Amino acid sequence: MSVHTPTADKPLPDFDIVSTYRSILAGDAELTMPVAAIEALVEAIAHSSVSTVAETLALLEHHTAVLKAEIANPISLSAGTDLFQRYLITTLNRPAALNLAPGDDFRAIRNHLLSNGRLFVDRAKQSREKIASFGKHFIRDGATVLTNGGSRVVGALLRRAAESSTMRFRVVYVLSGSESSDTIEGDQIVADLRAHNVPVATVPDSAVAYSLGEVDMVIVGAEGVVENGGIISRLGTYQMGLLAKSKGKPFYVVAESHKFVRLYPLSQFDLPIEQKVLEFRVADDTKGTASKPSEDEGFFDMHGAKPKCSGVNAHDAVDFTPPDLISGIITESGVLTPSAVSEELIKIWF
Amino acid sequence: MAQGITQLAPGLISFLKSLKTTPADPSVEHLISLLKRRQIRNSRPCAIATTALMLRVVGEFKGRDAAKLVERIRQVGRRLTAAQPREVVVGNIVRRVLGLVREVLDDNTGDSHTGSDAGHNTPTHHDSMTRPTLSSSISTFSPLRHAAAEPMDASMTSEMSDSSEFNRRPPLLTSHTSYAPTTSAPLVNSLFGLFSQPDDSNASTPTGAASPDGKSAHSLNLERLADLSRSTNIDLKSEVMDGIRELQDELEQSDEQIAGVALEHIHSNEIILTHTASTTVQKFLLSAAKKRKFTVVHAETYPHDNTATHGILLTGRKRETRLDEDEDPWKPLTAAGIPVYVIPDSHVFAIMSRVNKVILATHTVLANGGLVAAAGAHMIAKAAKEHRTPVVVLSGVYKLSPVYPFDIDELIEYGDAGRVVPYEDGEFVDKVDVEHPLYDYVPADLVDLYITNLGGHAPSYLYRIVADHYHTEDITL
Repeated sequence: MSVHTPTADKPLPDFDIVSTYRSILAGDAELTMPVAAIEALVEAIAHSSVSTVAETLALLEHHTAVLKAEIANPISLSAGTDLFQRYLITTLNRPAALNLAPGDDFRAIRNHLLSNGRLFVDRAKQSREKIASFGKHFIRDGATVLTNGGSRVVGALLRRAAESSTMRFRVVYVLSGSESSDTIEGDQIVADLRAHNVPVATVPDSAVAYSLGEVDMVIVGAEGVVENGGIISRLGTYQMGLLAKSKGKPFYVVAESHKFVRLYPLSQFDLPIEQKVLEFRVADDTKGTASKPSEDEGFFDMHGAKPKCSGVNAHDAVDFTPPDLISGIITESGVLTPSAVSEELIKIWF
Repeated sequence: MAQGITQLAPGLISFLKSLKTTPADPSVEHLISLLKRRQIRNSRPCAIATTALMLRVVGEFKGRDAAKLVERIRQVGRRLTAAQPREVVVGNIVRRVLGLVREVLDDNTGDSHTGSDAGHNTPTHHDSMTRPTLSSSISTFSPLRHAAAEPMDASMTSEMSDSSEFNRRPPLLTSHTSYAPTTSAPLVNSLFGLFSQPDDSNASTPTGAASPDGKSAHSLNLERLADLSRSTNIDLKSEVMDGIRELQDELEQSDEQIAGVALEHIHSNEIILTHTASTTVQKFLLSAAKKRKFTVVHAETYPHDNTATHGILLTGRKRETRLDEDEDPWKPLTAAGIPVYVIPDSHVFAIMSRVNKVILATHTVLANGGLVAAAGAHMIAKAAKEHRTPVVVLSGVYKLSPVYPFDIDELIEYGDAGRVVPYEDGEFVDKVDVEHPLYDYVPADLVDLYITNLGGHAPSYLYRIVADHYHTEDITL
């Protein structure tokens, strides 16, 4: 892959964080974006010869900035990069707590990171299974579950519930017709569930309100869980939350805790990304923004479908579901109320 | 319930009396049979009986092996909860006692490891465990039907013990068993679980999430237990028993502590609506009545609690409780000069527009902020929501359970339908199905404030109090 970074003064011109990130993500379908970002940063440290704390942090900061600038929707991955940065800062600040001599603390941490990169990934994947084992208790015999998108955690949870043979439940799966990666993964989960003998109905976004009368609970995945306990998830989740609330159905979110991100959006339009969802036009400029030539060639995000930095297309767009619509967040460490999220984040940031 | 009036009838008093002379095992059987026959019912009697029994069980425990003590308590706890799964309080008390044992262990092992990892062990473990304990297993568990099907299959457990976040949590304060906010562990970082050290490498311990010697926290735990049993200077049993006595004090004092904040919540000339016969609520109102004049509207909670409600209004005592059961019968509200209106439950909505505040008693409070209370509570809360009337729930911390309400129907108990329509009315009973639910589940979003003996909390904060009072590993008994 070609190397391209917009910032001019790179301390390490030979390492391309973005392509590393993309290849990591492409290489493992099971990987989530935050973990891929962490992996890429570990790789970056491995390729560098940094030997001091300040250098490492500067390096990380640089790579994180590059990464965030290159990826169209960096919310999810920024959860990973932030977590990694905080982890380094806190551990480097407390060498005494780690049983390390003052001299070798940095090298020890570096070695730990480099030698255990694989482990982080495995843990992240395991946490999905853990969530599934907690979450399957939410699905009661005879229940009908509404879900959407291609969340692998939700898939794992439903599969786990299906594997416990005593449970008979039905799934209403909301699939948008578009060709996004979400839909493809959603199709896989649907096929998988049907193979497990779970009756699945697929409905378009527009049928959510219609189907809700038949539904006992809503379970959705999330790209990021924000500070106030709300979630950022694929477009359409917000309306599902609103509808579920209005019908009095419990609305559960499943997300690994490495998706907790330090954002505090108050409304849909506070998200730090550009989304091409609301585009007002008049007859004259129909091909104005739509066919805007991409300003760099050869750069596609992981779906290979759209040019970088030009905003997110409607079918890959996300929305923000405020915390008051969420009944509970199922993470690998238990079921949290939305207000517990801020506590978790405060713990690592302050 | 009816036979509770006679002196000889088995109940809390007779159980506590017999406990003085009977050894632990027969007492366990005794309590189980009382629970099964519903001769001890409702949260407070159940809590008192369980605590007393636990004191006995721990007192008779022989040996110094903490692991065996934990197992013994668990085993008793499992049988008690199985006897009456809907009295969630029984399980709560057992978990609190288990927590006490672990806490004593933590304290002592922390002290005994004075060497290289003493300073290391305690603090770092605390941060690794970190989690608001709602964590791990709240979800995995409900004492009712699915208690058996807990999710931690073998692979999960081993996995969890190596990341160790599930295994430890900050100790509760021994001295004030329910003074929650003690968990300000230094820099808690559960989100860092991802980075923690793997088992097999001894190189460094970046987060302290794994034990310093590379052993899994689980084995570490066992080792510490063994360690403890070797060290002779710790009197595990007496420390745990002290803790249980503090728990008993807490049970005794919780009503007074809750009543202590009454003046902050009840203002002059307010109209307060409450329901059912609850000692906690009556004491709360009485405490406010000493200084303020207000009006109480009491929904009588027909048919299962109306006699008790009438009794508590008339004499300050539930009618079916015996004189000696409550050592200090208090004066009824009316004697304090408070006008009390008794209304049937069906009038709640009509009168709600004039009510300033709803105060609910509770049977059990669940981890998600919902509560199980006497039937009718849901309707009252709904009516209050409709009129934007604040709903305040009074509950001792001992009623707060780490149970997550996966299946609400399981939590609701059904009582004697004969109290709705007497069985003599044969023609009616033949043709119509009569049901008599004793409890209601009130979802968290209908409650504005919980007042416990720790103070006032928003429903969304309850997870934190649960985390402070129960060890995760105890949530599944």
